[in-house]
Amino acid sequence: MNNLPLGSDLLNVARETLLSELRPILDERGRYTLAMVANAMSIAAREVEAGEAPALSALARLDKLHKHEERELHGVELAIALSSYERQVAADIRAGRYDIDTARQRALLEHLRTTVRTKLEISNPKSLSPPKT
Amino acid sequence: MTDDSTRKRLAEFIRELSGADDVTITRLERMSGGAVQQNWAVDARVTNGEYAGEHEWVLRMDAPASVAESLTRQEEFRVLQAMHEAKVLAPVPLWLCTDTGVTGRSFFLMERLPGIAAGHKVARDPRLVSDRSRIARELAANLARIHDVKPPQPALPFLSTSLARDNIAHYRAYLDTLQESYPVLEWGLRWCERHRPEREETTFIHRDYRTGNYLVSDGRIAGILDWEFAAFGNPFEDIGWLFAKCWRFGQHEYDVGGVADAADFIQEYEMLTGRTLDAATLRYWQIMAHVRWAVIALQQRERHRSGIEPSLELALTGHLISDLELEILTLTADGAATTPATEDDTVR
Repeated sequence: MNNLPLGSDLLNVARETLLSELRPILDERGRYTLAMVANAMSIAAREVEAGEAPALSALARLDKLHKHEERELHGVELAIALSSYERQVAADIRAGRYDIDTARQRALLEHLRTTVRTKLEISNPKSLSPPKT
Repeated sequence: MTDDSTRKRLAEFIRELSGADDVTITRLERMSGGAVQQNWAVDARVTNGEYAGEHEWVLRMDAPASVAESLTRQEEFRVLQAMHEAKVLAPVPLWLCTDTGVTGRSFFLMERLPGIAAGHKVARDPRLVSDRSRIARELAANLARIHDVKPPQPALPFLSTSLARDNIAHYRAYLDTLQESYPVLEWGLRWCERHRPEREETTFIHRDYRTGNYLVSDGRIAGILDWEFAAFGNPFEDIGWLFAKCWRFGQHEYDVGGVADAADFIQEYEMLTGRTLDAATLRYWQIMAHVRWAVIALQQRERHRSGIEPSLELALTGHLISDLELEILTLTADGAATTPATEDDTVR
């Protein structure tokens, strides 16, 4: 059992401290670097907070797409199952096995869209908010 | 580079090639930008000869770690000469030096043009681009001249030719070297393969013609920069790249690199070249542009991950990929609707 606060909390408070206390004393070049550091810290914090949830839901979607019965996998087993699915999906797309507009193609695209959205929630959630008017 | 003996050797090199009696270097300073190449500002006073007077030049030299797919300085020098002959606004190339005894690496000198190139400034500071339609027309006119250069070019034997099918094969070959799979990029590539143009024209293409790679001065285009990815290929590839959402620096109301309206550009380009740029072609090459940028982003990410060049900036490019994937899915969907804004650099 680790001490509290959690890693994601630490990353967030460390980031806030950088922005409020260090940013004002930096020059343009330094601020640019700091913005990258702050961005990296937010991504890491969101990744820690999300935990295994994105991988679990991806596996559930891929099992459904491949008519495989639902499974409960975690850790390394989950990662292996997912990467094997991704490899297969990639190869199937390249071989033209999803070319025809069918329910299967629509299910694939729905899965890809959800996957990209889930990745954006960690990498760049701003992309998911409506455009500024 | 800035030591006295390098300065002296450089001055002597310039003196000899310019036919001057004397050359004094009054400034030698590293310029910003250029991760692959190093640019140095060189100010010089030349006594007698064809170049007598005060000059502001740029010395462009290979960086220690070169990127496999980019041209050498010698090749880029030849490209600049060809572009100069084609009346493209670009820095005039002056002298090439392949003798590494002068500065330690190959380099060339070119004229220094005025203006600002940084993409986030050009796209986001309305004072720089006061007349958007003029910028659109000038971007179109220069691209038209670039695309007027056709193969074969005996002076440019090193240029590769890459049409749509070659691009697809090339990007797939790269994806195959990675441990992870990228179904969305595969989807984009398969879409590009299925919708490949039946016939393609082959011209000289810039392959990095975008906001960030041209100088803007007094509301006008002062010059096109960064020719290291030049090749022969489909001219519309350059337009897809210039229009791609990932190169608008967040200014999505302006399709042309976040600075100008599509209609102004297209009208001028079509008028000057006689080519027709329809919506389907534009969409095709925008999809290709996003796939290409995703592949480059993966390559940059791998430079960090492999330990060859640990860098926060390179590491963060790995997190740009899902924005590009989202755009690929949107553009390949029929009746593509508008998507949320995407950010384009590693600072958010």
